[in-house]
Amino acid sequence: MADDTPPQDKPDGARGSAFDVLMSFLKIGGSAFGGSTQAMVFREVVDRRQWMNEQQFLVGQAIAQVLPGANPVNLALYMGLKVAGGLGAAAAVFGMVIPAFCIIMAMGFAYSELSSLPVTSFVLHGVAAAGVGATISQGLKTTRKLPKRASTIIVGLGVFVAIGLLRWPMIPVVIVAVPLSIVWAYLDQRRAA
Amino acid sequence: MDNKLLGLFIVFAPLSLLSFGGGQAIVADIQYQTVTVHGYLSNAQFADLFAVSRAAPGPSTLIAALIGYQVAGFWGAIVACLGIYVPSSLLVYGIASWWQKHKTSPVKIAVERGLAPVAVGLIFAGALAVVRAALANEPNNIIVALELVTLAICCSIFYFSKIGSYTVVFTTGGLFFLIHLLAF
Repeated sequence: MADDTPPQDKPDGARGSAFDVLMSFLKIGGSAFGGSTQAMVFREVVDRRQWMNEQQFLVGQAIAQVLPGANPVNLALYMGLKVAGGLGAAAAVFGMVIPAFCIIMAMGFAYSELSSLPVTSFVLHGVAAAGVGATISQGLKTTRKLPKRASTIIVGLGVFVAIGLLRWPMIPVVIVAVPLSIVWAYLDQRRAA
Repeated sequence: MDNKLLGLFIVFAPLSLLSFGGGQAIVADIQYQTVTVHGYLSNAQFADLFAVSRAAPGPSTLIAALIGYQVAGFWGAIVACLGIYVPSSLLVYGIASWWQKHKTSPVKIAVERGLAPVAVGLIFAGALAVVRAALANEPNNIIVALELVTLAICCSIFYFSKIGSYTVVFTTGGLFFLIHLLAF
């Protein structure tokens, strides 16, 4: 099955410069409103810069989500490290946090005036809609690249139904789903071998 | 002043390692520590800072910067940020570099393949959560339709083109600003 070949890891080591990483993440850090940061990182790192493929991105995204810490910061760190080593990791975190830090401080000063204007929440709703568009696009692109196996479909759908539709808390669902999914993938491999 | 800086670091550094799933997991603890235990803020101040942190771009844990500023000015913001980001970042750095250096093995492949569908499930669940939150208290059907159309158009742009997300985000924000000026 062609779908079952493992993703080809490109050789480890620097494949982009820390400066490129910094520029990419400064742009993301300043525009990632409304909880869609990972989709924007995917956009930059996979779609545009092509520093890695969808599968490699998903691994980083999963690690960033499972470990403690802000997801956008963890994700930036993982991607920066993979693309340009330790300096890349520092550049990515710096790029992700600094614009957002400056904006949030400015908003903190302006909040009492801006929050009373109806236009503020209207514009933020529009921006959130764009962010969700990015997220769904990322979901579709990565789904397309997943191996078409029962385990993948059941785990992916199960996590979506449990957290998205039934609104179960994320942490216990992930704690159950991750080991289950890994063992299932391992058994699938052994059967295929 | 120095005691306040140290106090901020002591509040945020342990929470950093408990922030599973990001800022939402520790918001209640931040509120308890900064309002009830240390009395740095009133409940009303905390609620205002929380609202700002949700509206701003970037991680929601940046509420630490706002609280730090309220408590001890600019350096308070910096120290609170270091407290909330450095411990978890060191942990992620250690695990990620170990993972990326590790040679490919059947177990590693199984872990990567096992994580992928969980991540995809979380992507769609996250999209649904944001849609639900945005449309929950919206009585106006025209605005609901406008947001859904925006979502569909942006999704298509992201899927079929290589236009950067910042361009799409700022254009959308600008268009919504114009629509608001013209229509309301």
